[in-house]
Amino acid sequence: MIHCDGLSLQLTHRPVLSDVTWHIEAGSVWGIIGPPASGKSVLAKTLCGLFTPRQGRLTVDGVDLPGLPEPDRVKVRRKMGMLFQNNALFDFLRVRENVSFPLARQNPEMPHHELVARAQERLRAVGLSGSEEKWPSELSGGMKKRVGIARATICNAPVLIYDEPTAGLDPVTTSKIYDLLTDLRRKHASTVIAISSDIPALRRFVDHILFLHEGRIRYCGPESGLEACQDPVVYQFVRGQTEGPL
Amino acid sequence: MAGNFLAAVGASVLNLCAEVGGILMLLFRVLICLLPPRFDLDETWRNLHKMGVRSVPIIVLTAFFTGGIMVIQAAVFVKKFGATSLVGWGAGYAVFREIGPMLLGLMFSGRVGSNNTAELGTMVVTEQIDGLRALSIDPVRYLIVPRVLSMIVMLFLLTILGDVVAIVGAALFGTVLADVSLASFWVSFSQNVHVADVTHGLIKAAVFGFIVALTSCHFGITVKGGAVGVGRAVNNAVVAAALGIVLSDYLLTYALP
Ligand SMILES: Nc1ncnc2c1ncn2[C@@H]1O[C@H](COP(=O)(O)OP(=O)(O)OP(=O)(O)O)[C@@H](O)[C@H]1O
Ligand SMILES: [Mg+2]
Repeated sequence: MIHCDGLSLQLTHRPVLSDVTWHIEAGSVWGIIGPPASGKSVLAKTLCGLFTPRQGRLTVDGVDLPGLPEPDRVKVRRKMGMLFQNNALFDFLRVRENVSFPLARQNPEMPHHELVARAQERLRAVGLSGSEEKWPSELSGGMKKRVGIARATICNAPVLIYDEPTAGLDPVTTSKIYDLLTDLRRKHASTVIAISSDIPALRRFVDHILFLHEGRIRYCGPESGLEACQDPVVYQFVRGQTEGPL
Repeated sequence: MAGNFLAAVGASVLNLCAEVGGILMLLFRVLICLLPPRFDLDETWRNLHKMGVRSVPIIVLTAFFTGGIMVIQAAVFVKKFGATSLVGWGAGYAVFREIGPMLLGLMFSGRVGSNNTAELGTMVVTEQIDGLRALSIDPVRYLIVPRVLSMIVMLFLLTILGDVVAIVGAALFGTVLADVSLASFWVSFSQNVHVADVTHGLIKAAVFGFIVALTSCHFGITVKGGAVGVGRAVNNAVVAAALGIVLSDYLLTYALP
């Protein structure tokens, strides 16, 4: 589905990703973990063409994404739904309009009542019925996160990327969110990539893990193999030890 | 010591060139979106309302007192030389050609331009621009072009309104403070002020609107570094717009009839 070969990326003259080789099969569920500023969010954005790598290849469904000019990236991006780390809710739109925005853009002919219905259904799924007419600035952090998830998933895109879907949420809400994401994944057989610092909850959700450190891959494989990984950085990070290279 | 100084000057010049280059690039991208015109009408309408209608009170207030102040300044000499027949002409000529567009342009930059920079900058910082791009929406087409059009149109229209209010202000202050009757103000105004004076100022207003739009959008979408970056960008945008207005005013005053 998505193939990265030797991806390298620089931002403001500093390497942020170095030699990332990663193959994501359709239908798999990946978790990206790693210390802060290791390039997790940048990697996620690179996958949907928001950053153009300096070196290496990136293909989505066989299409060379970095080779496409910006206007032609539409076709690839339609296959992806993304939740941004800061939610990226449009503050000039109400909650309902935020959620239906991607749908309205992809289907300009869709009648208004159908857009409203779809948005309401999605908001109900994330437990936010009744907040349709609110502005994003009137929501709590957790509510914004859930609106972001509703917006990312409304088009039923085959690839879903969640950047910190549960940051700042309590354990109960976290479990509910992961249950919701699991449901959605089963229903639409989507490929999922989730970034999270809540490692235990994330590990219950994913079946593969990518570990990034300073833009380099330290571990890339099944979730169950993480424990046995002898890389000192991974070893320390997964066990939460204070002694070590980190 | 001298080396440091030279390095600092060099860095500033490079920085200036980068910003000017960025503004020209933005101009180029805006023009591409306008040929043929393809942009978001809803967004344009929203901006027209926000930038124009809500600026009316402050523009009216500024214009009224500007007209008045000009007459107050002139009143001493008008009385001394008995030049009451020149007040209407003087006020009209100065307001239409220079003071009106210039002052309202600066006011507009302070109110609308800075707001625009802060808004776009916040959208960058909170990843909203990335969010648009991830949906394959060109931020220039969707956000910038409507704002540029709205600012040009609105500063143009607000200047017409401001011109009228300033003349009314001048006439009222003239009656009260300089003993110039409304009738003689009107005669002097209508016989000496020409359509060219009005168009001269309105062309300037449209150009100033364009300058405020480009600078405020450029500094907004290139924000780096969180909330502090937004503050810095607003500051830069207002300074750049003021410089642009003064410089282009100088050039236009020569170029226009
Ligand atoms: N738009 C940008 N321009 C320049 N540098 C950037 C940009 N975005 C990210 N970076 C840099 O890239 C590096 C990786 O950032 P990234 O946001 O991917 O970290 P992260 O792994 O997601 O961290 P966190 O867990 O804190 O979210 C950081 O050093 C950051 O400063
Ligand atoms: Mg991140």
